[in-house]
Amino acid sequence: MLRKWLRLFAVLCLAGCLAVPVLYFMGSFDAVTYKGLLLAVSIGWFVFATAWAARS
Amino acid sequence: MPSKLSQIVSKMDQLYEYDREAVSQNKLKPWTQFAGLFAGEHVAGTEFVIGAFFVLHGVRAVDLLVGLLVGNLLAVLSWTLVCAPIATRTRLTLYWYVRKITGPGLTAVYNVANAILYCILAGAMIAVAATAVGLALGIPTPALTDVFPNSVAWVLLTFSIGLTFLVLAILGFEKLSRFAEVCSPWMFTIFIAGAVAMLPVLGVHRNLDNFWEIAQSRIWTGVPTPGQEQFNVWHVTFFAWFCNLAMHIGLSDMALFRYARHWSFGLFSAFGMYPGHMLAWMCSGIMVAGVNRQMDPGLMAFEAAGFAGLMAVMLASWTTANPTLYRAGLALQCVTPNWPRWKTTLIAGLITTVLSCFPVVFMKLLDYVAIYGLVLMPVGAIVFAEHWVFPKLGLAQYRAEKQGWTFNWAALAVWIGTLALCFVMPFHLFFRWLPGYFIALVSYTLLNLTFGRERIVRKEPAKAA
Repeated sequence: MLRKWLRLFAVLCLAGCLAVPVLYFMGSFDAVTYKGLLLAVSIGWFVFATAWAARS
Repeated sequence: MPSKLSQIVSKMDQLYEYDREAVSQNKLKPWTQFAGLFAGEHVAGTEFVIGAFFVLHGVRAVDLLVGLLVGNLLAVLSWTLVCAPIATRTRLTLYWYVRKITGPGLTAVYNVANAILYCILAGAMIAVAATAVGLALGIPTPALTDVFPNSVAWVLLTFSIGLTFLVLAILGFEKLSRFAEVCSPWMFTIFIAGAVAMLPVLGVHRNLDNFWEIAQSRIWTGVPTPGQEQFNVWHVTFFAWFCNLAMHIGLSDMALFRYARHWSFGLFSAFGMYPGHMLAWMCSGIMVAGVNRQMDPGLMAFEAAGFAGLMAVMLASWTTANPTLYRAGLALQCVTPNWPRWKTTLIAGLITTVLSCFPVVFMKLLDYVAIYGLVLMPVGAIVFAEHWVFPKLGLAQYRAEKQGWTFNWAALAVWIGTLALCFVMPFHLFFRWLPGYFIALVSYTLLNLTFGRERIVRKEPAKAA
């Protein structure tokens, strides 16, 4: 069960890595916010994907 | 001398012992594993440099698109029609197949040549990573034309990163390889994120209506940076094709495709080529255009994606350098006096670290990639001739194995002769491997036709009276 959740969060973070620059390009936020958000979802990917891979 | 050589050969065989046997039918892998492997392997630190260099070499937008589409298609076809069929028929690694054909002595030479080439490649990865760390520490990246290090700080930086990569490669290669699998999908998204985020800097409108115009006027303009030669569609096509020459035409990926159920699994290499060697290269081209064509992967990634970009440069370089250092250590182990793996990896890593100090290893990366493929290409041609051409001509195969030769002198002569001819060919380095391949193929066949002592005797069916 935990594995499923970890995978879901990992995939969401990865999708976030694509969504954040698109939103920045559309003018939804400034460059500083874009870079901060991209770093946050990137760290999220590593945390969840590593935990998921460790349980696979 | 002969006893020394036999010791080397014996050690080399022990190292590769685990994959000596042909892969059995029950160990074959599904297509998804091949697609995943290729997708993960072809987004590396060098992608930040290669795509950017196309911009600096003044490639036009149309030439880039056509060149990458065609060149990557040719690469996929090379895996599918050259490498995979031999691998699925023999179910052996290149090491064991070359050993049957060229003899153990020449296989040792091939191994050492491979190790040296691996070291230079890993050196380029370390230098790319240094541009990211250097940016954070305020250490300037060497100029595009620099051959030697431009400061003591750059030398110290590349040394520190090289030694860190080396220690990690020695201490935890397997765990790090698993971590690299986690990194690869994320790295690909960072390439796309960086390119998308650079579009407003280049003046692309939110509705993308002027994207093609900007692509032609500000990114792939057709005008090279001063000091860089002009590339056209042929340069791009050939580069995309030979970028992994050692793997497809050079047959290194027999190690992979011996597990394929069918030779057509070579088509799954497209999962690595088109995202990695097309999309990622285009993304890095957009990023370098966004920083006024400064060849500085760290700066490009930071401007485009902030600290996540710097992380991507570091991780992309490190995840590629890690297996490269390991393979170099493995290849060198056979020519050392019973040294353990850690010691040979240490030697390979120290050589690599010294090389990484010289900016030329990544500032001339495109030329190096061409040379890397060129050096190993004749061996692929020799194997192809022996596998496909010899049976058609009634020539005996695997004479080195059957007659116990240490060196197949014909193969050695063809290897050296082909490289010598390629060296003096009067055209661009990128185009030399193709005629070189046919020269190697034909000359090895002719040498065996002329001097081959053993022929398969074909029994003609008795004609009816």
